[in-house]
Parts: sequence; structure tokens; C-alpha cells
Amino acid sequence: MVDPDAELVRNAGAGDARAADALVRRHLPKMVGLARRMLNDGAEAEDVAQEVFLRVWREAPRWKPGAAKFETWMHRVALNLCYDRLRRNREKTDPDAGLYVADNKPMASDLWLARQRETKVHAALANLPERQRAALVLVHFQELSNIAAAEMLEISVEALESLLARGRRALKAALADVAADLIGDADGVSRM
Amino acid sequence: MDRARFEALLAAYGADVSRWPEGERAEAAAFVGAHGVELDAARQEAREIDTMLSHALAVPKLDALSARILAAAPKRTEVFDRRALLALAACAIFGVVLGYGGGLLAPAPLEDDSYFAMAFEAPGDEG
Repeated sequence: MVDPDAELVRNAGAGDARAADALVRRHLPKMVGLARRMLNDGAEAEDVAQEVFLRVWREAPRWKPGAAKFETWMHRVALNLCYDRLRRNREKTDPDAGLYVADNKPMASDLWLARQRETKVHAALANLPERQRAALVLVHFQELSNIAAAEMLEISVEALESLLARGRRALKAALADVAADLIGDADGVSRM
Repeated sequence: MDRARFEALLAAYGADVSRWPEGERAEAAAFVGAHGVELDAARQEAREIDTMLSHALAVPKLDALSARILAAAPKRTEVFDRRALLALAACAIFGVVLGYGGGLLAPAPLEDDSYFAMAFEAPGDEG
């Protein structure tokens, strides 16, 4: 198995700034996206992504391509950091957690609408059971293969498919009252 | 592929077959070709959930975060400094060896001290 990141990781570990930059450009959006969808908190998502990369910089000089792809390893680290934060947040429940903080800056109406819809979907995702959310995030948003996602969650592919199906059904039910708005005005054209 | 498997895949991965497990895509496409109309309702439902999920695809601007992360990346200077020191040391040793060896190999100068004697001769001695 050829790891598309192997050379970049090796060079970044040797202090090659261009390789480090390429790694960040390739993986940072995915790491932030994963953490954002798992935690439903932009600032915490950035903290998680930064922590993932600090570990990347630490491991890169001695990274040896092995059984797992580098990207899979990064996802695993990010997911575990999210689990840690979710556990901590459960222990010290913040009464304001999840509340939408109004942004006073003027915003174009289209952008404002998009933000509102995004907030609703993120909130629905955040209310899914943790395993269903993780399965959806890894497969639908991070576009990992079913085998990689199942390995990461330490379950079989059949169990993963069950989590995905239940997650999607629960999401649909949670968004039922805004479904017309979400479905009627999106350009989510199916590729089927 | 039978209908139950097709619907299980649809429920898990959504309406976009390119997101389905690679090994089952061709069979799924053939199944749609053969049973297209019967599957319309299930496919439409899956498509609607895909559309809902598409609203959570945006990623914020990450310039500042990216700069913070890159500032902590390993730096070549540390690696380079070590190599530069080694190269300098190697050059110095080579220079010493070359100088010493060159001195040994060079032909010994002919000893001719007549000009010393000439220097002490008085100008008037010749006449």
C-alpha cells in the first residue's frame, strides 16, 4: 500500500517548510471539519486540529510507513481528542454550551441563511448518539472507506452500516420541522 | 445484489453510488437499471438526507490557525546548522592535511646564501 503522504511526512520531519505547508493544506480542513462536526464548537474544533498537528510534528521525524495510512492515523488521533473533550464536557456541563452566539457584524442574507441552516444541521448532528455521529462524520463527511472507518471505531463493517443507517434516520427525524427549508433550497444534486 | 442489500446500502451510504463500497457499485448500478422505478421512493428519501447533510459541509477560513500550526513545525535550520558545522570541521581538517602533506611533498629549496654575503659586502670593495 502506497501512502500518498509518506514523502511529505518524511520531509516535514526533516524541517522542510514546503512539505509542512503541503501537509497542512491537505489535511487541516478535514481535521477541523471532523472536530467541528463531532464537538459542534468552532473554537474547540480548532484546538483539536492544532493538537493533531502538534502530534504530527512530533511524530514526523520518526514516522515509518506501516499498516495504517498517515491520514488514517491523523483521523484516529483527532477522533480520540474529540472523545476526550466530549467526556470532559459531559463532566462539567456548561449551561451555555451549544447556544448560538449572535454575530453583530452585518451579514448578507444568503450567507445568514446558509449559517442558520448549517447551525441547525450541526445541532442535529450533535444530538445524535456519539457512535452514530462518529460513523456519519468519518464516512459521509471525511469520506473514509467503510473498512477504515470500521477499524477506527473498532467494529465490523456490518455494524458500521447499521450505525450509519440509524444515524441518517435519526437526523432526518430531528430535522423534520425544517426539512422543507433544508431540502428545497440546497444544491445537493445527487451524483447517482 | 438483491433488494434488501440495495436498500441497506442506500440507508447507510446515501443516494450517491460513488460513496458506496467500491466492490458493490457496479452491481448497484445494474440493479438500479433493472429496478429503477420501484426504487424511486427509497432513493428520493436518501437523496433528501444527503441534501440535509450538505448544509454542514462548509469549512471556515483557516489562515490564522494554519499559520499557528506551521510556526510549530520542525525547522530545517536546526538540522542545517548541525550539517554546516560538520562540513566546516571537515573542511578545516582537509585544509590542515593538505597543507602539511603539500609541505612534505614539495621539493626542498636550493640553499643559496650568496645573496646574504653580498648584502654585507661594502660597495667600495669591488673597485
